[in-house]
Amino acid sequence: MHFDPTVLADYWPLLLQGAWLTIQVSVAAMAIGYAAGIVVALIALMPGWPLRLVTASYVETLRNIPFIILLFVVYYGLPFAGIRLPATLVGTVALALFASAYYAEIVRAAILALPRGQFESARAIGMSPASAMWHVVAPQILRALVPPSTNMTLTMMKESAVLSSITVPELTYQSLVVQGNTFAPFEVFAAVASIYWLIASVIAEASRRLERRVGTAQAESVSRNPIAERYLSLVARRAS
Amino acid sequence: MSAPILRVSALTKRFFGVTALDQVYLDVREGEIVALIGPSGCGKSTLLRCLTWLEQPDDGFIEVTGKPFGRELTPGGVVRRQSRRQIDALRPKIGIVFQQFNLWPHMTALENVVRAQIVVRRRPRVEAIRRGEELLERLGLADRMDRYPHALSGGQKQRVAIARALAMDPALMLFDEPTSALDPELVGEVLTVLRSLAEIGMTMLVVTHEIGFAANVADRIAFMDHGRILEQGPAREIISAPKEPRLRSFLDLVQADRRPIHPLTPSNITE
Repeated sequence: MHFDPTVLADYWPLLLQGAWLTIQVSVAAMAIGYAAGIVVALIALMPGWPLRLVTASYVETLRNIPFIILLFVVYYGLPFAGIRLPATLVGTVALALFASAYYAEIVRAAILALPRGQFESARAIGMSPASAMWHVVAPQILRALVPPSTNMTLTMMKESAVLSSITVPELTYQSLVVQGNTFAPFEVFAAVASIYWLIASVIAEASRRLERRVGTAQAESVSRNPIAERYLSLVARRAS
Repeated sequence: MSAPILRVSALTKRFFGVTALDQVYLDVREGEIVALIGPSGCGKSTLLRCLTWLEQPDDGFIEVTGKPFGRELTPGGVVRRQSRRQIDALRPKIGIVFQQFNLWPHMTALENVVRAQIVVRRRPRVEAIRRGEELLERLGLADRMDRYPHALSGGQKQRVAIARALAMDPALMLFDEPTSALDPELVGEVLTVLRSLAEIGMTMLVVTHEIGFAANVADRIAFMDHGRILEQGPAREIISAPKEPRLRSFLDLVQADRRPIHPLTPSNITE
């Protein structure tokens, strides 16, 4: 028995097709999931406990069940409601649902971490809650959002491998097909592992750049500790 | 006499059964500076938060330039809570300068003053900038407009916060402990700024626990304790001839550090 990557020569197109679908599904799930996450986070922060109860049970339900079970429940449950949709669509939505719970918590935590006075000073001057969020809160939390969101996006991209179990022809599904044709599981999965690794490092690098860009736009606003604050204000006064 | 700029009547606020404001009545007339003094926890800051509707009072009424704010009495005699839009529409009339200033750190000093004018007052950007520059210049910040808040000193930040509120053309300015977040030597500077506002006829309500500052800046002093305004009157009278015993002991307490320290003797140790 020896390692022979040449068996894959004929199957590269299939694996690349799978990788392309994995990327598409992940990007779509991230977009839908993030949009839903922001909405859930904003509802969770509204006054009144009934709304909070709804969002809290949404988040807790999605976080407390394994993704594969969530996927099966959605995929096999929809036909009971008379809805039959392509597996890829159902898989993408389930993945977005799964990610949205975590994105919601990330956004909520970032908003809560901002001193309350920021939102309040915007409200007191007459801005609506939406304007206060848009002009005052959002620009200040953007940077804090990048690292945890990247983490979640990486997790979600890798979790998309589970979609193979409902016949979504993404990377893992294709690797199983290739493996069945070549009887060379080690070669196939080693290749697939490198492709996943590559996709993940592209995402990580993109996030690093994004953080740096948001960072330079905001370097001025970084809140400093009291000692630095005092030092800076002394400098400011001396300059005047 | 004209209607007061601010009329507070029977304002009450409870936090989980604890009464923070207990039937507060207070009038502030046009051009007047009223200082609100009292021991910490007496409800001064709660009153300011209620006056900006950041905290909803449980009972009572607020009128700003004769218009009900937050809660109103309908012609049928029913008390009605105003909609969020109605409240937001009146909010620019009440400028507030927070204790920690709460400037927006991601905007320059000028943008801090400009943004709300555009968003809330719907002014064209050019006009908002002109107004912002004019205010900052008047407050001595002509060379600080492009600085971000972290590069400003405490006093400069405070003046930006004042300019931000003034840009909305408020009828009334509220100050929450304007001297407490600053170095002691800047107290004089705050005093100058408040006086210059008084000169242009601005009506002000200043919460402070510094008696000397209150006596210096205010036309009238109101003393608050346990959520009630116990005594109010012309600043000089309140300081020199307090009637209310609790005000008297409060004044004694805060002025104690200026008196010589009594030597420890066996008689006052046992007390």
